[in-house]
Amino acid sequence: MQIVVILGQVLDPSGIVVKGKAGRIFVNREEYVLQPADKCALEAALRIKDTTNAKVMALPRGPLPNDDVLRQALAMGADRAVYLTTRRVANPPYGDAVMADVLAAAVEKLGGADLLLTGATTLDTGQGQLGPRLAEALGWPQIVGAWQVASRRVSESAGGRVEAVLQRAGNYVTVEADLPAVVTVLPGALKPRYPDGVRLINVYRAEDAVERWDVSDLVDEASLQPLLEKRGQDFPPERELGVRLSGTPEEMAQALADALRERVSR
Amino acid sequence: MDFTFAPEHVALRRMIREFAKNEVAPIAAEIDREGRVPFETLKKLAQIGLLGVCFPQKYGGMGAGETGYCILMEELGRICTSTATNVGAHIGIGAMSIYLDGTEEQKQKYLMPLARGAKIGAFVLTEADAGSDAAAIRTRAVRDGNEWIINGTKTFNTNGSFAEIVTVMTVTDPTLGAHGGMTAFIVEAGTPGFKVGTHENKMGIRGSSTAELVFEDVRVPHENVLGKVGEGFISFMKTLDMGRLTLGAACLGGAEAALEASIHWAKTRKQFGAPLAHKQSVQWMIADMATEIEALRSLVYRVAWMVDTGQSFTQLAAMCKMYGSEVASRAIDTALQIHGGLGYSRDYPVERNFRDARIAEIFEGTNEIQRIVIASNIFRQHGVRIRP
Repeated sequence: MQIVVILGQVLDPSGIVVKGKAGRIFVNREEYVLQPADKCALEAALRIKDTTNAKVMALPRGPLPNDDVLRQALAMGADRAVYLTTRRVANPPYGDAVMADVLAAAVEKLGGADLLLTGATTLDTGQGQLGPRLAEALGWPQIVGAWQVASRRVSESAGGRVEAVLQRAGNYVTVEADLPAVVTVLPGALKPRYPDGVRLINVYRAEDAVERWDVSDLVDEASLQPLLEKRGQDFPPERELGVRLSGTPEEMAQALADALRERVSR
Repeated sequence: MDFTFAPEHVALRRMIREFAKNEVAPIAAEIDREGRVPFETLKKLAQIGLLGVCFPQKYGGMGAGETGYCILMEELGRICTSTATNVGAHIGIGAMSIYLDGTEEQKQKYLMPLARGAKIGAFVLTEADAGSDAAAIRTRAVRDGNEWIINGTKTFNTNGSFAEIVTVMTVTDPTLGAHGGMTAFIVEAGTPGFKVGTHENKMGIRGSSTAELVFEDVRVPHENVLGKVGEGFISFMKTLDMGRLTLGAACLGGAEAALEASIHWAKTRKQFGAPLAHKQSVQWMIADMATEIEALRSLVYRVAWMVDTGQSFTQLAAMCKMYGSEVASRAIDTALQIHGGLGYSRDYPVERNFRDARIAEIFEGTNEIQRIVIASNIFRQHGVRIRP
């Protein structure tokens, strides 16, 4: 079984200070970490690997400034990692819509896959399009926002299925899809393992631990047109203060009940 | 000159910091309160290879070198001095003595399980009447055919109560003294006559175990001699040089934590209508702490680099230990002052850090001994051999 995990990076939140009043983000320590949801997707893949003979391969969400998250994936137990380079100078962020096609081509070049896992959302931009768009590009079924992922083989001829636990209306439901399939995993769904120390040292010391492919080897890069355009940045408005209830416990309970009722009817 | 860390060391620090935040920090106050050794943490550290961080991979280690080991101690020192102490006694002096002086067979048999964390190590030197004056030990080893018989009592042994492999210093020829008369041995727990005595009820680092070890006619085979017969003292001094450097790294972590807590408190706590950060008295405290920490960091990692590149570093290791422990004590004392009454309360980690920091000026050679080491090295370079 081949599992592909798509990984992105985000500025380490503990190294930045957001100043809403100044309209600026101060970067004290420019360090990137794995997107938390992607890290959970990687953990889900590695847990399947723990109990089967699956191979786990890591691909980036797009051309990244460096291959660090891919090395992290190798240190945690992934078998293979590919870094995507681009020849475009000052390239705008392609966005998930375009990257889905590039990554679909990368999955083909890897020799296909049985299961593709990625995070259900990104910590910085809050986007969750990549998984569903990849499923569309590949023509595979998709399960979005999983808490748990497990694969099982139905029979030699029928191939396998993937099972995922989702949260729906306060309940947990288990859904299944035929493989190959795309599953996106929620941040915090699983506690990711620590890298293995020996692997970590060896992976970071070996320059060629991560393979390098150019986007133009996968698709006609000149034809890529990002759907996204960055026009500026703004901070969310200050949160309005809530209402403090007062009075006897009965009065406060009544006021709270009324407020909740009003919210539900709205 | 390049002061940047190698990519593997950056990644290692990130991993250890995450580990310390998730696994060590939540129980740091508890193990201090209950005075218990966090065996669960040691087991988790072993699982990811950190209990052999500096040893070569062929001996079951991680292969991250002394720089990697200093990173481990710095990051543990930030969060929990007790845990750093357990780990330091295991790697830095226990297993290290076998790595530095063991034969290939001894490394395979004893260093391998220690580096993998399958067994815990300790380094056994101090006696009731031989602390700073380590050459005054009385524990005797007498040869009997192909065996040695060890008799004596050792005090203040970190990890001593549960270590499975210990290296112990003995007198083998009382007429020869430190040079020629002392020999180190590897002893396994469970050897008949090897017993754990009383436990120290300590002021700080209460999540570490400090025990008396009693040797009563303990028989060990000749193949367990560590290094050469008669050269134990020199062998242990080499190990202690390594321990001093990494203790400096743990102190660096403790000082950094004190600075971070002080900055946080100076931003949050308001008096006379403004946060403490706007008071010049507090600003100067923060500036002094930060400057000393920078100086200590440069010293620690320069010496780690010297070890990793095979240079001699005895004098600088003594400086790391002495300066590191004093910077940490000053920083934590200042942090307590900035926190005021709340810093004195057991509800805040500053109080625990204050108690934990003090030992670093005493163990692994008191700071007075470090000054003697530094001064004697300096005078030797000028042709003067100072007498103790």
